[in-house]
Amino acid sequence: MRVGGVGTLGLTLLVVLVASGILAPWIAPYPPDETTGAPFTPPSRMHLLGTNDVGQDILSELIFGVRISLTIGFLAAILAISIGTLAGVVAGYFSGWVDATLMRLVDIVLVVPFLPLMILLAAYLGPSFWNIILVIGALVWARPARVIRAQVLSLRRLDFVDAAVALGASSGRLLLRHILPGVLSLALAQFILAASNAILIEASLSFLGLGDPTAKSWGSTLYYAQARSAFLSGAWKWWVLPPGLLITAAVLGFAFTGFALEEVLNPRLRR
Amino acid sequence: MIASLVLLGLALPATQAQTGAVRLAITRDEGWLNPYTYQTGFPGWNIMTLVYDTLYYPDANNEPIPWLVRDTRVSIDGRTWTLTLRPNLRWHDGRPLTSDDVKFTFEYAAKVAHSRWTPTTRNLEGVDAPNPQTVVFRLKQPDAGFRLRTLADVPVLPRHIWESVTTVAAARAFRNTVGSGPYRVEEVQDNQFYRLVATPQYFAGPVKVRELVLPIVRDATVSFTALQAGQIDATSRVLTPELVAQFEKTQGLKVARGAGFASTILQFNLEHPLLRDVRLRRAIANAINTNLMVRLLMLGYAVVGSPGYLHPDSPFYAQGLRFEASKARAVTILNEAGYTDRNSDGIREAPDGTPLQFTVLTLAGNPIRIRGAELIRTWLKDVGIGLTIRVAEDAAIIDQVWPDFDVCKGRRFDMSMFGWSAPVMTRPTALVDLFHSNCQRGTINIGGYKNPEVDRLGEQLVVTVDLARQKQIASQMQQIIARDLPIHVLFYQDTIMAYRPSAYDKWVFQKGQGYVTKLSFVDPPK
Amino acid sequence: MARFFAGKGVQYALVLLFAVTLNFLLPRMMPGSPLVFLVGEDVGFMSADQRAQLIHAFGLDQPLWRQYVIYLAGLARADLGHSFQQGRPVLEIILGRVGWTVLLVGISLLLATLIGITWGTAAAWRRGRRLDLGSLGAAMLLESMPSFWLAMIFIAVFAAGLRWFPVFGAMTPGAGLRGWPQMVNVAWHLTLPLATLTIITIPGMFLIMRYSMLSVLGEQYIATARSKGLAERGVMFRHAMRNALLPVATVFMLNLGYVVSGATVVETVFSYPGVGRLLFEAVLARDYPVLQGTFFVLTVSVITANIGADLLYPLIDPRVRHAR
Repeated sequence: MRVGGVGTLGLTLLVVLVASGILAPWIAPYPPDETTGAPFTPPSRMHLLGTNDVGQDILSELIFGVRISLTIGFLAAILAISIGTLAGVVAGYFSGWVDATLMRLVDIVLVVPFLPLMILLAAYLGPSFWNIILVIGALVWARPARVIRAQVLSLRRLDFVDAAVALGASSGRLLLRHILPGVLSLALAQFILAASNAILIEASLSFLGLGDPTAKSWGSTLYYAQARSAFLSGAWKWWVLPPGLLITAAVLGFAFTGFALEEVLNPRLRR
Repeated sequence: MIASLVLLGLALPATQAQTGAVRLAITRDEGWLNPYTYQTGFPGWNIMTLVYDTLYYPDANNEPIPWLVRDTRVSIDGRTWTLTLRPNLRWHDGRPLTSDDVKFTFEYAAKVAHSRWTPTTRNLEGVDAPNPQTVVFRLKQPDAGFRLRTLADVPVLPRHIWESVTTVAAARAFRNTVGSGPYRVEEVQDNQFYRLVATPQYFAGPVKVRELVLPIVRDATVSFTALQAGQIDATSRVLTPELVAQFEKTQGLKVARGAGFASTILQFNLEHPLLRDVRLRRAIANAINTNLMVRLLMLGYAVVGSPGYLHPDSPFYAQGLRFEASKARAVTILNEAGYTDRNSDGIREAPDGTPLQFTVLTLAGNPIRIRGAELIRTWLKDVGIGLTIRVAEDAAIIDQVWPDFDVCKGRRFDMSMFGWSAPVMTRPTALVDLFHSNCQRGTINIGGYKNPEVDRLGEQLVVTVDLARQKQIASQMQQIIARDLPIHVLFYQDTIMAYRPSAYDKWVFQKGQGYVTKLSFVDPPK
Repeated sequence: MARFFAGKGVQYALVLLFAVTLNFLLPRMMPGSPLVFLVGEDVGFMSADQRAQLIHAFGLDQPLWRQYVIYLAGLARADLGHSFQQGRPVLEIILGRVGWTVLLVGISLLLATLIGITWGTAAAWRRGRRLDLGSLGAAMLLESMPSFWLAMIFIAVFAAGLRWFPVFGAMTPGAGLRGWPQMVNVAWHLTLPLATLTIITIPGMFLIMRYSMLSVLGEQYIATARSKGLAERGVMFRHAMRNALLPVATVFMLNLGYVVSGATVVETVFSYPGVGRLLFEAVLARDYPVLQGTFFVLTVSVITANIGADLLYPLIDPRVRHAR
């Protein structure tokens, strides 16, 4: 039930964030891309978190930023889990050379140094919204694939599968009706963990200037804060702390939820 | 440890005439600080000239003053230049610097390609050294910019050291730094810093700072933090607008401000089917509120761009030339030219139905330009022109706008945020480089602009030696360019340099460029 | 054992080949030409044939397969080419910077492991209670923080604000220190990046140790040891910990491989002159040989660490050792 507590906390965080994102036009005091004040002003009644380098309200920017950051996280995670689940299921179910090849690929992706490769890919593909999703998805699928494969392997060994095969069930039917459902819940947990990963990575890439600075994610807010000397002028307190806290909150929300799900679903972790 | 901290934290104050050590941060690695391995136009070239001397040197007003040269005689037809070197010039290894080295240098530059000065040797028929003190340059054509662009630009190399380095690859890997300048390279720590030590008995007079440490600090924020914290005494980097007010108030820091010659422009592709219409370009320019841009982006620390390209403080500026942007006028021009929004989607269409939707490229590492692009996008949307911003790495932008740095190779873009560095502004012949339609002469005409009148005037300008006549021709060219608007000059960022006066206070501010100049450390020779 | 190795050996060879080829192809496929970084920014003022001369001098006009062969042959000779920017051998540049990275990440990994082991053990022993849950929460909080954000806050507070530590670099430039004062200076510059990296690494180690202890504590033989009447503490240390350390040891070995790549962000933010920062600078500058070379070194180090882990595991885990 402690696990439940953690999970609830995580879900709450997520729900609050997603709701803010959806309700952004109503809860944000100003449109995020409009110059509504003088640049670099500290927090005031008019602008609770001050203004950025072009006079846009930081609070509004962060609220709308929920949409971008979470969307990137979600989409990248969906891509990663789609590839990962497919690979894991196919490898675990069909075995043989298919399995060997796929797992080789997984090993390769896991061995090649992660962040450097990501930086390289991001720089190669260019800073754009979709490229970041592609880059993250292309690297984050490997670990879920392994986990799912293990799950498929153990599912396959179950008696009812043997029975079904004996009764003449086709591979497709088996996959669909027995294997896939067993894997889905694990895939969900992996998805959530992948999303938390993706949000962190996007923030890092954007901050390094490899993301799309015109897509107003929290990472790009931090990029501008850094680039426009927020650390020197004391502006970091309202320009750097809040986006970082939001990123942490989002990642934590996903992590708690995913952790709780995994504790519940992964049989090997149970006592 | 406290003791060493204290010692390191403060530069030793001047005893007698010479200051001890000054820490001047530079922005990136500059190779071995010799002519073939330094990296950037600024501050790389400037620092390299602390170690190597040129025949002339640009003064604080960017006018070339004689340096290694004692006097000069130019023939009537402008094609023969006879220079007399000063006596008793020496290399750091003690050998004498003679006209033979000068002759060798220019012949070397023609053979072993260097991006910056090999082109200037194309106009040289030959260089003679009739005696150790005299050099004779024979030019193919008279050249208005010979003094500034060639004599004040090319560092003299020691023949006895460089004659064995015969290929480009070898030159670019050559580590030798024996020059004739006021400083010797004492220590190089890969990617961390350079340490330069003053040459005893430099011919031009006493060197004011005994030791220069040049730490490499790549991040703007880090370099200003370090300056504020007292870890460095000066930086080659221009102070960003958001820090000016704060630094001016900070104890122990001084801020020097002057006109800046680096430009930020909106570059059009003149071969684009829509953008080749000058009315559309004028409308776009009118929609951009450059005054507001300067206030918002640069916090007022910039000068609004002149439509003829040259900065109002440039001696060749066409007096009174200005662009008054007006949104109302933009709308009028568009309406009269037939660009209306027929399908009510907020974007106007050309008479043939093509929507006015463009992509503007902008550099990824330059947040000010990105913000500028965002502002432009907002203003263009207001007048019914759609703009998509594409942020890309330098190499990707160059690939589309200026492939292989060769204007002859064409272009594929709509519009791009761009900028030219200060040296482009200091010579009137920049107008030829920027706007001549022949891609061999208009080497930075990246928009593909063609105007026969501008070409003709430009060709005249290059061979005109009389200053008054130069100004006249330049003025005419700028008027035409202001009408045609092949580029829209947004602003020129002021050059604002901060430093710690307690460490060193005798910096010389070179107009439009900053205080990293040889003149900050040694007075001109008499 | 030999069969085991043959299988893994082939796998690692494949990984190496894949990584090497990827390293080679990717930079080649990037848009734009490296010319500006070959000769500095003033290349725009050159004529076309002078540029061509430069392109030829640097081998960029060779067909792709030719460049690849040259690249592979060079790798075999440990020749990683010359930096476009600096004209120096890439290997020399990398070797000059590896030391800083190893220093930074080596110490942080050791510290993080020690702290993680202690903390994980304590949390596992008190499973479900306040210490455990609080620790889990704290660990996850730390793992959720962007490393660059933490780094920047440290700089803002301790370096720019309180001025207790320097803002950048590994040593004070041009100070010419030697011996003890030099070590102190290096340690002073190392403090903030080390603190950042360690804080980020601890949660991972903590979580693994905790899980590992938990699964071990559920094993039969622990119950046996308990029934013998040994003091609780004795049980914990002698039996549980030794076995729980296995995965930690493995993870430690594997993390060693990430020694040089994991600190990229921290090095970048602190302008710490290590290999991670070199990679970032090389990407920005499109310095292909340095990019390729750095990648190669990073990949090799990861593979080596994996091999090390594979070799080490049987030695530590008696069950595997006796299996064959």
